[in-house]
Amino acid sequence: MDSQAVKRTDGWKSRIASELVEMLGAGAVISADDELIAYESDGLTGYRVKPLFVVLPSSTAEVSQVVELCNREKIPFVPRGAGTGLSGGALPSREGIVISLSRMNRILDVDVPNRVVVVEPGVVNISVTDAVSAEGFYYAPDPSSQIVCTIGGNVAENSGGVHCLKYGVTTNHVLGVEMVLPDGAVVTLGGPAPESLGYDLLSLVVGSEGLLGIVTKVFLRIIKKPQMVKTLFASFERIEDAGASVSAIISSGVIPAGMEIMDNLSINAVETTVGAGYPRDAGAILLVELDGPGAEVSAQVPAVSGILRENGAIEIKLAADESERELFWKGRKSAFAAMGKISPGYYVQDGVIPRSTLARVLGEIGELGRRYGLRVANVFHAGDGNLHPLVLYDPEVEGESEKAEELSGEILRVCVEVGGSITGEHGVGFDKKGFLPLMFSEQEIDTMNLVRCAFDEEGLCNPGKVFPTPRTCVEPGMKKPGSETHPAREMGELF
Amino acid sequence: MSHVTELSRMVSNFHVPGSGDADSGVPEFGFSSEVILYPETVEEISRILGFASQKGIRVFPFAGGTKLFLGNPVGAVGAALSLRRLGRVLFHEPSDMVSTVECGMEVREFQNAVGCENQLFPVDPPGLNSGATVGGLVSTNLCGPMSTRYGTCRELILGVRAVRADGEIINLGGKVVKNVAGYDIPKLMAGSLGTLCVLAEATFRLYPRQPFSRTLVLGFDSHVSCSQAAGAIFAADVVPTCFEILDGRLSSEFAAAPGAKRSVLLKFDSFEEAVIEQIKQVREITSGKSASFIEMGDEDSKELWDSVREFPFSSGASFSSKLTLPVTASVEILSDIESDPALSGVTVRCLSRPARGVALVSVDGDGEEAVRAARFLENLADSLGGRIMFSGIRRELRERIKAWGSFGEALFLMKNIKRRFDPGDILPGEKIFDAD
Repeated sequence: MDSQAVKRTDGWKSRIASELVEMLGAGAVISADDELIAYESDGLTGYRVKPLFVVLPSSTAEVSQVVELCNREKIPFVPRGAGTGLSGGALPSREGIVISLSRMNRILDVDVPNRVVVVEPGVVNISVTDAVSAEGFYYAPDPSSQIVCTIGGNVAENSGGVHCLKYGVTTNHVLGVEMVLPDGAVVTLGGPAPESLGYDLLSLVVGSEGLLGIVTKVFLRIIKKPQMVKTLFASFERIEDAGASVSAIISSGVIPAGMEIMDNLSINAVETTVGAGYPRDAGAILLVELDGPGAEVSAQVPAVSGILRENGAIEIKLAADESERELFWKGRKSAFAAMGKISPGYYVQDGVIPRSTLARVLGEIGELGRRYGLRVANVFHAGDGNLHPLVLYDPEVEGESEKAEELSGEILRVCVEVGGSITGEHGVGFDKKGFLPLMFSEQEIDTMNLVRCAFDEEGLCNPGKVFPTPRTCVEPGMKKPGSETHPAREMGELF
Repeated sequence: MSHVTELSRMVSNFHVPGSGDADSGVPEFGFSSEVILYPETVEEISRILGFASQKGIRVFPFAGGTKLFLGNPVGAVGAALSLRRLGRVLFHEPSDMVSTVECGMEVREFQNAVGCENQLFPVDPPGLNSGATVGGLVSTNLCGPMSTRYGTCRELILGVRAVRADGEIINLGGKVVKNVAGYDIPKLMAGSLGTLCVLAEATFRLYPRQPFSRTLVLGFDSHVSCSQAAGAIFAADVVPTCFEILDGRLSSEFAAAPGAKRSVLLKFDSFEEAVIEQIKQVREITSGKSASFIEMGDEDSKELWDSVREFPFSSGASFSSKLTLPVTASVEILSDIESDPALSGVTVRCLSRPARGVALVSVDGDGEEAVRAARFLENLADSLGGRIMFSGIRRELRERIKAWGSFGEALFLMKNIKRRFDPGDILPGEKIFDAD
């Protein structure tokens, strides 16, 4: 964070503040230092930047006006939802404006016959399900922060959750968006129809980490609640056997709604914290959730139980009722928070590996932990190979947080080596942009920049994220970047 | 040395149309090309496009040639680039249920390859049995009845290896089912009709094959009873792999439910007891609504599903259209079409795929009446909040019926994307974009 601040005069700042207040009202513009502190970071609190202003628009028109102003004055701007992201995607730009969508929190339409709910971006994820639950429907993507995270952030990060093995991630549940482009224009991509024609721009926007514009309305697909849900709990002596069970279950023709593995360290952290009833001496536990038509689930339960036994499960339990099912899940959902009870600090990593490499990767993570002298707990969405290693460290011990960060990076290298990804659901953001070249060549990252330039030629929308080095849009097409100065860089913007 | 000669030297195989050594695999293009190139490696494609972009030679990529009728006609190009020599499965890890395949491979062949491991590449595009390739599948994003359960190619594609118009080879996406690193460019490729990059390889998510399958055909005497039954099925605790509604004409022509006003086709795949239970449920909820109820095994229903899959592109009509609509509109459109006087002078066939919000319509008629029908459908799609594309348009109608309805506000962004990816328009953009 060593960039120099943009040279803006106090007079200029006052003028911009006045314009913003005129547009939005005084209560929707934050400029006082003590109030700006809350917006200095997102869920990844290790990075902090104080923005120039934070604005709280209440409508698409207001967002558009603010963005037009930013465009005119060449002010970088960063969209922000609930600020729960873990990759620094909502980290402010120095001398930039944070556009918080928290006041755009209305559910605009519930259309059950067409299976569509239309929401503003500040609507909390769980509120969508709450709005349609009585009708027997729900919104499938369920990130662990779903009681606080917002749909706008979910769209930006293409959020997943524990049930995305069967039902997919956010991109599979967004039918359309209204968005304010980086020049202030408002466009609608997609809509209430499940399919679209032409270039799939919507799939570019979902997961674009706020670099292509600001989403102001989202058409969400809702799905019918399954007739039956059954949750199996299995414990294993070795985590490799839990991993082998996952592949065997899917190969048998069963796609569970979710499959989650926790290792011994995680189990004990959870038991210490919430007492979910997991066996402390198990090498790993596996949760398998099956859902669908009653007859199908009823047929799957014995089949899955047999596979678990064949793969060395010590104990297999089927949740007898909803309260026991909730208890099974309580431990898993508390896992991250539980780490705080056994370690003063922890670093959450998010990498993806092919399922078939699970044993190898876990072995390498263990070896890395030993080499760095740090404990690593493993909690992961096993069905889709999405690992969340938790690197435990003591921030009071000099150099340990740096070691934890380095170890986390090494884990990502292992993920890529085996054919995986540096992120499955948290995004690249600010935190991982330096790792993008592990997966992609310069030409490939240039190709991604072509997309960004098609939406944001000025590069003002959430600059300094995702791309490891500055890239311009000066030459349409294939010319190598680097010879021109990015406008935001001229202003001293961070990259 | 002519450009054609230089291009020809970059590949092991090529064909100059009219030279008398015609390759039997070359389809009827509907556009002219000075040379047809058959690269065998992605590096050869890279050299071809690198040269073509330097010289401003337009290149049209194709593979099976089964869907060349989609999109606007392409004008003259310097070279056609056939992917047919790129036809291998490069990677298949059964325990990951992921496979990478070269884009010239036939979809059916790919399905057979992964089927050996009891796995399923769950697409059934038109042309499946007549040479449809993986590249064409991705390029058109045209899928069949199984998209009800599995979605289209856009939902299945995880990664691509492609060559940009300037010849750069790029690998985007990945080989894991969950990945949010960078923009989802593989999905952008799906449906881009080869206007952005030449696809060389694609990586897909696979599914397990299901052990038991049954087809149901329900006949109805009226649109109202059919619509009510479809709504009840949609709301029931059943998960069909395929769910189609046919109008009266198709019900008879496909021998689904001859004489019925409408028919509903359902296919279930799962454990045997689960399929039987779902059939029982459908029988109960449609009791009193359907006039006939037939249950069929795979062999008995094969011909029916073949017909459904190929519709409307095999109908030999004046034109075909695909409408993407909200779910309920995709059902009610059957009634809208039937009752509107604007379509009284033409023969219309219509199939609805409600779970996808898709209606497929073929129109047979002459001159003004066909054009009027096209306008009607375009306006209908607009008024219902949907989009429309026309295909297989008879030559004499092509001046008056364009391939695409409105793209709405997305159009200028689509043009921006095209301009960024291919500033020289080496890969013919007119497939999608009308001349300004």
